[in-house]
Amino acid sequence: MNGLSAYKYVFQIQFFRNAGFLIFMTLIQILISIGIVIGFTYMIPSPDTDTILFLTTGAPTIILIFSGLVILPQQIGSAKSDGYLNFMRTWPVNRSVILGADTILGLLITIPGIVVSTIVAHLMFNPGYDLSWTVVPALLMIALTSIGVGYGFSYLLSPVASLSVSQIVVFFSLMFSPVNYPMDRLPEWLQALHEFLPIYSMAEVMRASLAASTFDASLGNYINLLIWCILGYGGAIFILNKR
Amino acid sequence: MILNVENVTKAFSSRGKEKIANDHLSFTINEGEVFGLLGQNGAGKTTLVNQILGLLTPDHGEILLLGKSVLKAPAHARSICSVQPQSQVPLGSLTPKQAVTLMGKMRAGKGFNPKRVDELFEALDMTEWANVEGVKLSGGAQRLTAFCMAVVVPGQLVILDEPTNDVDPVRRRYLWQVVRSLADQGTAVILVTHNVLEAEKAVDRLAIISHGKFLAQGTPREVKGSVSNKVRIELSLVNEIEEVSVPDWAHSLRRNGSRLLFSMDPSRISPTIDWITDQVDGGLVVDYSISPTTIEDAYIALNSKKTEGVS
Repeated sequence: MNGLSAYKYVFQIQFFRNAGFLIFMTLIQILISIGIVIGFTYMIPSPDTDTILFLTTGAPTIILIFSGLVILPQQIGSAKSDGYLNFMRTWPVNRSVILGADTILGLLITIPGIVVSTIVAHLMFNPGYDLSWTVVPALLMIALTSIGVGYGFSYLLSPVASLSVSQIVVFFSLMFSPVNYPMDRLPEWLQALHEFLPIYSMAEVMRASLAASTFDASLGNYINLLIWCILGYGGAIFILNKR
Repeated sequence: MILNVENVTKAFSSRGKEKIANDHLSFTINEGEVFGLLGQNGAGKTTLVNQILGLLTPDHGEILLLGKSVLKAPAHARSICSVQPQSQVPLGSLTPKQAVTLMGKMRAGKGFNPKRVDELFEALDMTEWANVEGVKLSGGAQRLTAFCMAVVVPGQLVILDEPTNDVDPVRRRYLWQVVRSLADQGTAVILVTHNVLEAEKAVDRLAIISHGKFLAQGTPREVKGSVSNKVRIELSLVNEIEEVSVPDWAHSLRRNGSRLLFSMDPSRISPTIDWITDQVDGGLVVDYSISPTTIEDAYIALNSKKTEGVS
């Protein structure tokens, strides 16, 4: 069987198996992304347009991080403990087909949240969106990095360990990462750490494509994402093929 | 020959202690053969199966599927084997029909005939569940679905790991019929189980594994013959207190409430029947059965020998 039809069937199995969960998560993602846009404006009294633009262009990144580094690791953790992962490993398909199918599912559940929250923010605050054509590749690249890294650590670690990592990641990326506010507000050592971690690069690339006239992403940001993406998927493929 | 396992050894180490899960195991399976792998919990059955599937690598030895090394061509191995795992397959929102159809398509591609799913469901009397979400199914229905996923488009080797767990007695029979028809069509089947009674009826050949080693291997007749060639008598007495004097050719006499069991040499069958008839006429015995040694007897004898040897 060729790769494409193998992909189709694996995708269908994974989609129908998780249909209820995926719909539920899509709704949660919509709520969270609107929540970030609106909720943070309560935390900051009389925010200016720049602040709002930071918040609204940061929300999609948070959603993508949430999807790849929290929801996905939880699913993989339970697939590991109930033996489903080992069952998938006996399927007569290339293992990367399974990763590919799950990646697209992870991406699909985030898109409605991103679209809805962007429209809501535009209508409420009109913060100065300026969509660039790069929005689609940027979204893909961020999603792939986030999902890839999520894959990597959830395949590498035990279910309990990966659950702890994902809890820390979501807290760290919401509060201590330059996603919803500028990098220079952080202490220097955290700034240095974020030059290395992918979160800052994700946020920069996302911002540059949603408000192209206000923000720029550097080549370094793209390279950073690419490296993390390869590390994540590479690690996951390695573990899936390991015996 | 479909499968050739040569001298396979696999050990695991945990906390500095090495546990040998498979100890120099060798066997072969031919087309159309149902091979039983019998053993207690932790005997090393699933470890062996995982090596055949290429999920684990043997420490020593070689596994060949259709002449090709599993180690060198794991993707080839996966395309030949279809598996029902020991653990339940969590179906989530998938219905049995969706799960089995998609698995069939994954194996056969466009050439898949969807009628095969209906035929299987009918053969196993599970049509009523065909369109029920997996999470709402009973354990037995889930197990049967996983069985169908393995056999809907069988590879040349089907591996069934405890396929009848949770399944009711009537559908178990249907399941064994499906297994037999697979074998009749040339598929080789490995049946992994600790349910010895069922295995005896279903397999062509079997191996008994304990602590990673084969204790016996062959046809059911050969395995039974390796232990004893005795006949088993079971009597139901009128009540629990009744004393019965048994003939002196009765061996390994056991009393279990109102049941009396013993074994004896097959040459003594006719005087034994005379003796039993007297007991029935005398009102001491309600009913009785005479049966050849079962695989279960052989299994217990072999395993207890092994335990004695260890202690």
